[in-house]
Amino acid sequence: MVTASISLRGAGRTFGATRALAGVDLDLKPGVTGLLGPNGAGKTTLLRLLATALPPTQGKVRVLGLDPEVPAERTGIRRQLGYQPQEVGFPRGFTAFAFVDYIALLKEWTQPAARHAEVRRVLDLVGLSDLGAKRIRAMSGGQRRRVSLAQALLGSPPVLILDEPTTGVDPEQRVVLRTVLAEIARTSVVVLSTHQTEDVAALCERVIVLDRGRVRYDGPVTDLTGQAAGRVWLADEPDPAAKVSWRTGTGRYRNVGGRVRDGVEYVEPSLEDAYLLLRGGSPEHETAEEVAS
Amino acid sequence: MTAWHLDDDALRRYVERTDSLAEGASVEQHLLACEPCRGRVTAAASVIEVSVIDFAAVWESTRDAVEVPRPSVFERLLRAAGLPAQEARLVAVASAFRGVWLVSVAAVLVFAALAAAIGHTRGLWLFLAVAPVVPCLVVAAGYDPRMDPALEPELVTPYPVLRLILLRTIAVLALAVPAVLLFGLVVPGVTAFAWLLPAVGFVAVVLAASTWVSPLRSAVAVSCAWLAAIWLLAGRSGSPDAVLQAPAQAGFLALAAASFSIFLVRRRQLAQLRPWR
Repeated sequence: MVTASISLRGAGRTFGATRALAGVDLDLKPGVTGLLGPNGAGKTTLLRLLATALPPTQGKVRVLGLDPEVPAERTGIRRQLGYQPQEVGFPRGFTAFAFVDYIALLKEWTQPAARHAEVRRVLDLVGLSDLGAKRIRAMSGGQRRRVSLAQALLGSPPVLILDEPTTGVDPEQRVVLRTVLAEIARTSVVVLSTHQTEDVAALCERVIVLDRGRVRYDGPVTDLTGQAAGRVWLADEPDPAAKVSWRTGTGRYRNVGGRVRDGVEYVEPSLEDAYLLLRGGSPEHETAEEVAS
Repeated sequence: MTAWHLDDDALRRYVERTDSLAEGASVEQHLLACEPCRGRVTAAASVIEVSVIDFAAVWESTRDAVEVPRPSVFERLLRAAGLPAQEARLVAVASAFRGVWLVSVAAVLVFAALAAAIGHTRGLWLFLAVAPVVPCLVVAAGYDPRMDPALEPELVTPYPVLRLILLRTIAVLALAVPAVLLFGLVVPGVTAFAWLLPAVGFVAVVLAASTWVSPLRSAVAVSCAWLAAIWLLAGRSGSPDAVLQAPAQAGFLALAAASFSIFLVRRRQLAQLRPWR
C-alpha cells in the first residue's frame, strides 16, 4: 500500500507585487495537520496550492508523488483529493443533496445508485442526513459549512484539504466532525486551516504556524504548547510585564509571555497561549508581505 | 363471500409484491370481500422470507423520490437531444440556464425584434446591436465565477474544465442562436441568418479572452466594442448593409476561427479561472 504524502520544496506564490507564500518546504504524511496564522498569513494560498486550485509561482509541489503542473498528473491528483474552499457559493435553488450529487458527478461517480448512496453517506457523516432535501439557502451558516465539507469527503479521498471547516459550526457538531476527521486521518493526509486553536489542540498531531507567508513553527502541538509552560499566569489586574493579557470569565486577568516574575499564579498553558506567544503577543492581523522590488 | 378465490400464483405474487399495480389493486378488492383468501394471505405472509421484501431497497427508493432533484425542462430537452444524463445535468446546472436569466434574455430579444418589426430604422439598428451580443453574454455567464459560485470546488475535480465549458457553450448556442434567428425572421428586409456569424464570432472571442481575464469581463468588453461600432456605423451610413454583406460576414467567420484557435492553444489557462481575475 502506497502511503499518502505531500511535499513542497521552496513553494511560493505571489499575486502581482504581493507575496502570499514565500518558499515553503514541507512534508506531510497521513494524520491531521493544522494550519494556524493571522489573516493574510498565507494559509488559504498554501491550501490552494495543495488542492491544485492554484499553481505555485516558485518551487515544486508533489501530491501523492504526482506533479500538479503536468495536466495528466493533475487530474490524477484530483481523483484522490477532497477540497473544501474557504468560501463556497451554492447555486440558487440547490438542495444539500443536489449540490453534493452535482460535485459527485464531476468526481466521476457516474452510476446513479452508487452516487446517491455515496452522497447519503457523506451527508450522514456531517450530520445532515435528515436535511438532504432542504434548500441550502434556507440553511444556517454552520449547516452550509457542513454541506461544503460533505462534498470534500466524497469517495474517502487519501488527501483532504480543508479551509476553515469548523467556522460557524456549533460545538456539538464540531466534536462530531473531529471524530470523523480523526478516523479519515488514519489513512489520509488531512490538512486544515482554522482560527480555532481548540480544534487544532483536540485534533491535530502536528501544527504549522504561518506568518506573512513563512513557516514560523512546524512541529507537534504538544511541543508548541510546551513552549508556553511557565509563561502564563493569572492576576487580579493586567500585568504590564505580559506581552498580552485579557480579562477572563472569572474576572481575573490571564497574562501571557513577557518577563517571568516571582510570586504569581502560573497556570497550564493552552495552545492559544503558545500561539500568541509565538506571534509576539500580537493578536492583531497582519497583511501579506510586499515583494521587495 | 365470493364464488371464486385467488389462485396460488396470484396470491404468491401479491405477498411477494411482485405483482403489477393493477393486479395488486384487483387482489385487494377481492380480499375485502373474501375472508378465506385473507386467511391464506396471512398464512403465506407469516412464512415468507423477510429478505423477499427488501426494506432497504424500498427505503432507498423512497429517499430517492424525496431527495434526488428532478431534471429541469432544459435538462430533459438536452437528454432528448441525445446528451448522456450526467452531461445534461452538468450543463443544466450552469446559472445561465436559470429561469430568470432566460426570461431576461428573451425579453431583450423580444423588445429589440419588436422595435425592428415596426419598421423604424433605429429599431433595426437596435436589433443589430443586441442580437449578436446576447449569446456571448449568456456563454460568459455559463462559466464565470461570479455567476457560477460553485466554481472553486468544480475546478479541482477530475472532470475536464475545458469539456465543461465547451458543453455549456454549445448548449447556450443551441438555445440562444435559434432564439436570435427566430426573432430575426420578423425583422423586415434582412435575412435572419445574417446575425449568426457575428454571434458565433463574439462567442469565440469571449472564449479566447477568458484565458486572460474573466469570462464576464470579456463578454462585457466585446459587447461594448460592438455597440460602439454599431453606433459609429449608424452615424456614418444610416444603413446596416455594411455589416450584413459578404465581406463583413467573412470577417466575422475569420474572427471566429482565429479566436477559437487562440482558445484551443491557451485552453489550459482556463484551469486557473479565478474570481479576482
